[in-house]
Formats: sequence, structure tokens, C-alpha cells
Amino acid sequence: MTDIVGEWEVVLERVRAAASAFGTAATEHELREQNARLSGPSGELTALMKRMKEVPGDKKRELGQRSNAVKQELERAFADALAALARKQREAELSGPAIDPSLPGRNVKLGRLHPITQVTYRLLDVFASLGFDVADGPEIDLHKHNFDMLGFPPDHPATDMQDSFFIAKEGSNEVDRGALLRTHTSTIQIREMLKRKPPLAVVAPGAVFRRDDDATHSPMFFQIEGFVVDEGVTFAQLKGVLTRFLRALFGEETPVKFRPSYFPFVEPGGEIDIYRNGRWMEVLGCGMIHPVVLENVGYDPQKVSGFAFGMGVDRMAMLLYGIDNIKQLYENDVRLLTQF
Amino acid sequence: MRASYRWLKELCRFEADPGEVADRLTLAGLEVEGTKKYGELPGVVIAEVRGKRPHPSRDKLTLVTVFDGKVEAEVVCGAPNVPEPGKLVLLAQNGAKLPNGMVIAERNLGGVVSNGMLCGETELDIGSDDDGIVVLAERHELGMSAARALNLEDTVFEIGLTPNRPDCLGHLGLARELSALFGAPLVEPKLSTPTLSQGTVPAGTRPVALFPGAGQGASTPVGLTVADAVRCPRYAGAVIEGVSIKASPFWLRYRLHVLGLRAINNVVDITNLVLLEYGYPTHAFDLERLRGARIDVRTAKAQEKIVTLDGVERALHADDLLICDGEGPVAVAGVMGGEHSGVSSNTQKVFVETAYFDPRAVRRTSRRLGLHTDASHRFERGVDPRAVPAVLARVVSLIGELAGGSTPANGFEVYPQAFTPKEITLRVAAIERLLGAKIALEKAQGILTALGCDVTPSGQSLKVLAPTWRPDLTREEDLIEEVARVIGYDNLPTETPHVMASTNATPYTRFLRQLKERAAAAGLTEAVNLAFTSQKLLEATRSPLPAVRVANPISEGRDLMRSSLLPGLSQNLLRAQRHQVPSVSVFELARVFRPSGDLLPHESHKLAVVLWGARGSWLGDSAGFDFYDGKGVLEALIKPVTRRDFDAAIDATLAEEAPFFHPRRSARLTIDGRSVGALGELHPDVIESLELLGPVVYAELDVSTLFAVSRGEQAPHVRATPRFPASSRDIAIVVDEASEAGSVASVLREAGGALVEGVELFDLYRGGQLAAGKKSLAFRVTYRDPAATLTDQRVDEAHAKVSAEARTRFQADLRG
Repeated sequence: MTDIVGEWEVVLERVRAAASAFGTAATEHELREQNARLSGPSGELTALMKRMKEVPGDKKRELGQRSNAVKQELERAFADALAALARKQREAELSGPAIDPSLPGRNVKLGRLHPITQVTYRLLDVFASLGFDVADGPEIDLHKHNFDMLGFPPDHPATDMQDSFFIAKEGSNEVDRGALLRTHTSTIQIREMLKRKPPLAVVAPGAVFRRDDDATHSPMFFQIEGFVVDEGVTFAQLKGVLTRFLRALFGEETPVKFRPSYFPFVEPGGEIDIYRNGRWMEVLGCGMIHPVVLENVGYDPQKVSGFAFGMGVDRMAMLLYGIDNIKQLYENDVRLLTQF
Repeated sequence: MRASYRWLKELCRFEADPGEVADRLTLAGLEVEGTKKYGELPGVVIAEVRGKRPHPSRDKLTLVTVFDGKVEAEVVCGAPNVPEPGKLVLLAQNGAKLPNGMVIAERNLGGVVSNGMLCGETELDIGSDDDGIVVLAERHELGMSAARALNLEDTVFEIGLTPNRPDCLGHLGLARELSALFGAPLVEPKLSTPTLSQGTVPAGTRPVALFPGAGQGASTPVGLTVADAVRCPRYAGAVIEGVSIKASPFWLRYRLHVLGLRAINNVVDITNLVLLEYGYPTHAFDLERLRGARIDVRTAKAQEKIVTLDGVERALHADDLLICDGEGPVAVAGVMGGEHSGVSSNTQKVFVETAYFDPRAVRRTSRRLGLHTDASHRFERGVDPRAVPAVLARVVSLIGELAGGSTPANGFEVYPQAFTPKEITLRVAAIERLLGAKIALEKAQGILTALGCDVTPSGQSLKVLAPTWRPDLTREEDLIEEVARVIGYDNLPTETPHVMASTNATPYTRFLRQLKERAAAAGLTEAVNLAFTSQKLLEATRSPLPAVRVANPISEGRDLMRSSLLPGLSQNLLRAQRHQVPSVSVFELARVFRPSGDLLPHESHKLAVVLWGARGSWLGDSAGFDFYDGKGVLEALIKPVTRRDFDAAIDATLAEEAPFFHPRRSARLTIDGRSVGALGELHPDVIESLELLGPVVYAELDVSTLFAVSRGEQAPHVRATPRFPASSRDIAIVVDEASEAGSVASVLREAGGALVEGVELFDLYRGGQLAAGKKSLAFRVTYRDPAATLTDQRVDEAHAKVSAEARTRFQADLRG
């Protein structure tokens, strides 16, 4: 009788001793093995508990309680040792070898808008914030939209400023002077005014075409045309809107200079220079819409007035990005395009 | 237009240096694009030849002893015209720097030391005579700087004139402008021949005497008829006898030189001087070469020809106005004189023509002949018709002074209909309405008067007669611009208006922008190509033909308008491949053109995509782009912008419509059954003929159809996020190669009933144990009940239906 009780005491003591050595396990596996030897299905403590029936009745309660206490102690010791191991492992991980951050990143394919498009959107955003609509029109248009209704006199040298590409009649090489590749986006001014009634504030971006081809001229290039028509629109407002526009684009402190110039469809007409990189540079043409143009679209120039302006997007892009040959803009060399 | 500061100063008594003049002109709309200084010749002095002897060893060189007033020096000279002792020459002393950059220093020439250089006109940039050194005809103080002695210092402005300002194509016009800008008096050139005052010229179709005195009432020395008063509203001429043709004096030659004209002889130089002074072209004929001593101004007859001054024989058009003598044309009116009637060194009698030709007529002729001359440039912009007598008198005066001709000359003219300036009313209210600035009537009156207008105040308006040298002033707004211009735009008020009225009616342009921005977000880089292309490239890319043709292309390969975006993009790809770029993913959104049968061709926006090359990154996936990359990109592009899904299906009609695609690896894309474009690999034959490396994935979308089916403008209707969990089952089906995954998936979806939330392909397998012509498709079917948590039993039941349907519909083996 005392045998079993004494033996019980010995085993419990051994189990407690073994549990206190959990901390020596180097790996989780080793720890679990140690634990299994004590409390696993065939562990020492498990085996001991199975022998409870051999314990005399009066000792059962006491030994049972003490065994449970040892078992709890064992579980606690195991959990602590496991946590200690995990912490050790985390510490090893945090102080182990670093990654090589200089290896290239895994590709997320990035696309880019063409610099002309980027500049166009930048310009349009400024105008949109001033309340302008964006309009679009055909690239091949009628002579009357491109010249006649804009007040270009027939056989006038003003058309020399805009040497045109004409369209051949279908099935022949004969020139059809009625249709041409638009030489400016002012055609959209005519088209929009014919379609709508004032008040109007419209900008129109697009490709235009002139028979020029050198380092600063491409036979196709991009313009943005804009115009405002309403009652009481003045030259002072033209100056205000375009100054705001240019400063929004080139910086609030940019010096802006207005000087007279000539376009048949405006009167008074002007050009604007900005001071940038140490010199004055011409950036856009503008003026009060010529009364003849207003009459041509059926507006009454005694009632409404308006201003119009136009600028070369390519020129702006070249200015903003430091591109010196316009041809680079149209080569679509992906090595250039991916720089934007 | 080049303009001499010195000359302008002679014509207007302003006090301003060249820089100030340039700024003021620019701010008044006469843009000075450049300035160049002339006649700064430090170290070049007047010297006298004291002796000359041959060079001991070089027979083309002469040793010249010169005296500069202080010391003698020996100079080696290579010119053939070294003058005799006593004559004056221009000596560049040691240390002098010539305009061509040459610095004079002591030099040893063939064993003789040369101290300085005797200069010719071209070396000093004072003329164009390069036959030898300058030998001065007049006496000057020895040792005086050449610049001072010869009055050389000048600044020449290069003015970019707009076509509305013909008056400024002469110095007098520019001086008038400066007179208004600086408020300084104008000094008109003096005339030794008095003219009838303008406006009182008797009108008529018969020649009348122009100058009082000689010739008045007598018969004119040259018979004159003007048959076309529309093309030639005014024609005047004068005969000067006893002229001796020789070189012009230095001051005249120098003036022409700095303004870019070559000196020819005194009479021609005088007409050129007056051209640059009044901006008015005149022409001098040798009277003895005018056959029949008569002038007829008429349009060309059929088959008529003329050999112009430049030696070219030109065929004439019935619309061309000619100046003819008794036998035929001697000049193309307003454009160029004839070869045989001009002034030569033997000329003794000169007939000077001064006429006003219709600007449009001159322009038509000049364009037709491809002849743009100093004369046509001015006539087509419009010279001052009322200046005719003054201009003629000025030429005659100068010929008298410089060529010894008889004066006063017997001038005469035909001037059937006098030009009278139109009256324009300028209202003070209109100024404020247009400029947004209050400008006093007196201020406007002062400005317009200074510009040469005849101004009469009338209440709150001005009655303005614009000068005839300003054909651009025809209405009130033109006068307002003059006022604004002279005040200076920068001195006018600026007003920032409130936000503009916008009707925001531009969903289509917004759609275009969204497409472009989405395309970039989907990994595509944007290309912008010229719209021009060639027949060859259109054929190589199997693009739609015929294309719209440019009648006057800038070069051979740019004579057609693109009918597809493939020609441009294929060339961009070719360029990238030739530069060893490993992969290309680009798009372009632009217009293409097709003949329509109407005046304006049909234009439509296309969006095209090109994918080529390795898809991957440094961690493998070196496989090339294929159809499915293209489809993925289009899904990433189309869906977010239009909020629509498209279907891709094999379509036999593509072979005809888009023959540039691979017939087995391309598909038509549809939304609601409407074709929105096509996607596929390019046809290998196309790749070969474009000299590209394949395979190339290409897609072309029709933007207007996409816009039509788009729901992008409508606000999306949001579905509630599911509250109960989903459950999924996998199924692998072996089917014939020809079966499309998409139709298998939709069968599965239908069979599963309402519980099926999605069917997604996750594996495609061929080969191995599968029979040839078979493929295995593995799908994951997701089940969900929006109202309850699914039990395994319900999922199993639904999935069993799916399996059964798959088995019967596809006679499919189910794997796994």
C-alpha cells in the first residue's frame, strides 16, 4: 500500500523535475518530445494516472489533487517554454540576414500619356477650373470654316502664314480647294458658335496641319484654341483670364507681356510673351473676336463680344520639358516616351 | 523688313537709342526680332597711299607705303587695284578687328613684314564689291576712323511685320509710327520736283500731266493706255533724258548694303532706295528699248510669254496684268520687269513707272508664277494709291541729283477714279465696351491724328478718315486697336472675370480622356503619330483602301491620310525592335480618315493597342505577349470607362474586314451584339512584309461605338456586400479542343441554378494522358445563398447538377 503511494510521490517529483528542464530544449520539436514523454498518451504522468485505482481510497483524493497540480504545473511550464522558444526564434529572425533591397522591383507595368497629351490635359485642367467646356471637331474641314468665315480675305497674304494641305478629289489628283486639313483649331470656334448660343466659354484641343517641316515645325502639330462670347466681354477680361492661365501653368510670379499682333479673325489682336529661363518667349496669340466673325455665325456684334486665343501645345511641351527638336515628339521612341 | 536706325532718325526727330526704339516698336505690334550693329570698325582709318612697289618674290602682291597722318607704314597688299600715290584708302591697323572676326597683326608675307591691311568692302562689311580694296573718291582727314569719316555707324532692325501693315514696309511708314509713339515730328523726304497736292488730281482715263510746268498740256513723251482699270487703278510715268549710268555714291550703296540689297547702278539703286523709303516699288525702263515709245497696260493674251529679269521664260495667264510696249510685254505688272527693257550701262533716257496695282491681282499672278519679289510683296499687301505722284517725284528728283538727268521731268498719269478715304465713326462708348477701359476722346483723337488720320470730333464720337497708306483701317474696331496699340496693351486695365458660364456639354471629350488615362493605367504608353502615311505602308498593313489623298503633300511618303492606326504604330514598333527594346506596349487614340463621297471625308476616332515582346520581369515569365495579354489589357481599359463587359468571339467576317489579323488568333469584340473592335495577333504575312519580329498583338477599337454603348456617364447602382459566406467546388472537364471555355462556363453557371455566384477558369491543360485534340478545363464554381449560410448538403446537391449537366452536354470526362 505504502508502495504505491511512495512510488507515486517519486514519479510526481521526477515529472516536476523533468518539467523544470523544459527550458533546455533547443527546438520546438525537442520540447514537444520532452513534453510527450511526460504527458503524452504513453507519457509517465499519463501512465501514473491510469494507476489511480490501485491507490487506497483514503489517499485517492489527496494524490489526485496533487497529481492535477503537477499536471497544471507541467502545462504551464510547457507553454512558457514554447513561448520562450518562439520569442528566441523571432529574435533570431529580427537579427538575421537582411534582404537585398537593391534587387529590382517586380514589374507593375506602368503606361504613360504622350507628352503632348500630358501638356494638353494640364492646359485643359486650368481652363476647366476657369469654367471652360472642351470641344472637338474634324481635322479635315471646309475652307469656309478654316478661312472665309474667320474673315481671311480671299487672295490675301494672311493665308501665307498658314500654308495649307488640300484634299484631292476622290479618284483623282485634282485639288479640291473646298476642303483642307485644318490649319488651326479656330475651325472649332466657328463650328461651336454655329451650333450654340452665347454665353460660351470653350476650349478645343486638336491636331492641325501646315506645310512646314524643320527643327521647329512639324507638318502636323497640336493647338488649343479657346474663346469666350457673352455680353460685355472685354479686352481687360482677356488679359485677366490669360494672365491667370499662364501663371497657373508657369508659376504665379511669371512676368507676362501683352503686345499687339495681327490675326484676321481678331481685332484688337495680340500676342503674349512670358519671361522664362532668362528671356521673353512668345507663348500664345489672342484678341477680341472680329465683329465680322460674329456676324458670320449669326451673332450681333453690337450685343455680344468675345475674345479668342490659341497656342501651340508642342511649343508648350518643348518649353516645359526642354525638347529642342519638334520631330522627337512624333518619333514615338519608347525610350523617350517612357521618360514622361 | 530690315530698317536702319540712322535712316529712321533722319525721317523722325525722336530721342531714343536703338534698344528703346526696338522695344517701343515691338510693344506697338511691329515685332523687332533682331538687331545688328554695322560700321563699328575699331582700328580702321583713312590713310593716303604714299608709294607702291612690287613684292620682291610674289608677283601678285604689292608693297604699299601708306600714311595715316602721323606715321608711314608698309603694307603688303594682294588687291589688283592699288591706286597711285595721293589716293585715299582704308587701312586696318595692327590690332584692328574686322567684322568677319579677323584680327590684324604684324605679318611676314614672303619675307616682307606687313603692318596692317588695306581693306575691301566685303572685308569691312560695308558693301558687296569684292574686286579689290576701297579707293575713296572724296578727301577725308588722314587718320580719321573710317566709321566716322564715312558715317558708317548704324543699327539695323529685323522687323517681323504682320501682313496688315504694308505701310511699314518702308522707312517713311516706320518713321510715321515712331512719330506717333514718341510724339516726335516727322521729316518727309524733300522733293526737287513739286507735286500736285493729293486729292485734287484730275481723274480721267486719258493721260494727264502730273507735274506743273514741263509737259503740261503738251503731248506726253510716251503713248499710254490702261486697258484694265480694275487691276491697275492708277498708272504714272515720267521720262528723264540725259542720264548717265554709273555706280552710286558710297552713302547710297552703303545704305542698300546694310538693308540687304546689292548695289547695281545709280538708277536701279535709286528705285531700290525709294522702295525702302516709301515702301513703294517703282520700275525704270530704258526708253529707247520701249518699242514704239508707248506703254499699254493690259492682261495677257493667249499663249503670251515673257522673259523676266531673272532670265526665265514665263508662260502667262489671261488673269496676269502686263506692261507692254508697242510690240509686247515688257514687265509683269507689280511682280518683275522684263529682261530686255531694263536700264543698262548705255541707257540715256529713262522711263520711270509708278503705279498702283490691285493687291489681289498681283498676288494671284505672283503665286501662279511662283515669283515672290520685293515688289509683289508690297503690292499684294497694298501700297498707298495716293502716294503715286510723291513717289514718282522722289525718284525723278534723285535721278536728277545722282544721275544727271533732266529735271523737272514730264510726268503724266492715268487715274480714272480717285481714291477717297472712307469715313469711320469711333464712339467713345465703343472703346470702353471693347477694351474695358475708359479712354478720353481727346486721347484717342491725338493718337489717331499722329498716325495720319484726319479726325473731326462730333459729340461723343470721332469722324475719322483713315490715311490711304493704312488699308487695314476699315472699321471702328480697327481704330480701337490703334488706340490700344499706341497706349500699349500692358498699360490697359486687366480684370479677372468671375467664373465662366459653362454648359458642360462635353461628355465625348471627357470619354476620350478617360480612355487615354485608363490605357496608361493599364500599362500602355501613348504614341502620337503624324496622320500622314503612304500607299506602300497602307498596303503592307492591309489597311482600308482607298485612302484620302493630300493634293499637295510635303513629301512622297506623306501623301495619304491614315485609314488605320496600324501604319503608324507598326513603324513605332519597328523602331523599338531595331533599338533592341525588349518589349513594347503602346496605344494610340486618334482619327482615321476614309473617303465619303462628300466634300469632307469620313473621320472616326480609333483606339489601337500594340503588345510585343517579353511580358515578364526579372523573376522569370520571359514568355511573349499573346492574345490573352491583349484581352486582359482591353478588359482593364474598357470595363472601368464604359462599365460594360465585352464578348470576344471568332468571326469569319474579320478576315475581310481586318485582313491584317491572324485568321485563327483573332476575335471580334462586341457589346450588346454591336462590334466595338477586334483583337488578335497580326497576320504572319503582315509581320513579314513590315519586317517586324512577331508575334505582335494588335487591337483596334471603334471609339464612337464604345461611347454609344458606354454606361460610364450613369452613376453605378451598388449591390449590398454579401452577409453570408460562400462555398466553392472545383470541377475539371475534358472537352474537344474546339470547345470554348466561355461557353462551357456559361453551361455550368446555368446548371447550378440560383446558388451559383461565379464560375472561374483556373487551369487549362493539354497533353499528358489526354488524347490528342482534347483539353482539360478546370473551373472553380462559387456558391452562395444571399439569405442564409449554405450547408454542405445544399452545395453538394447543386454541384451534382453541375457535374451531371457537364457530363451530358459535353460528353465530358470529369477529372479529379
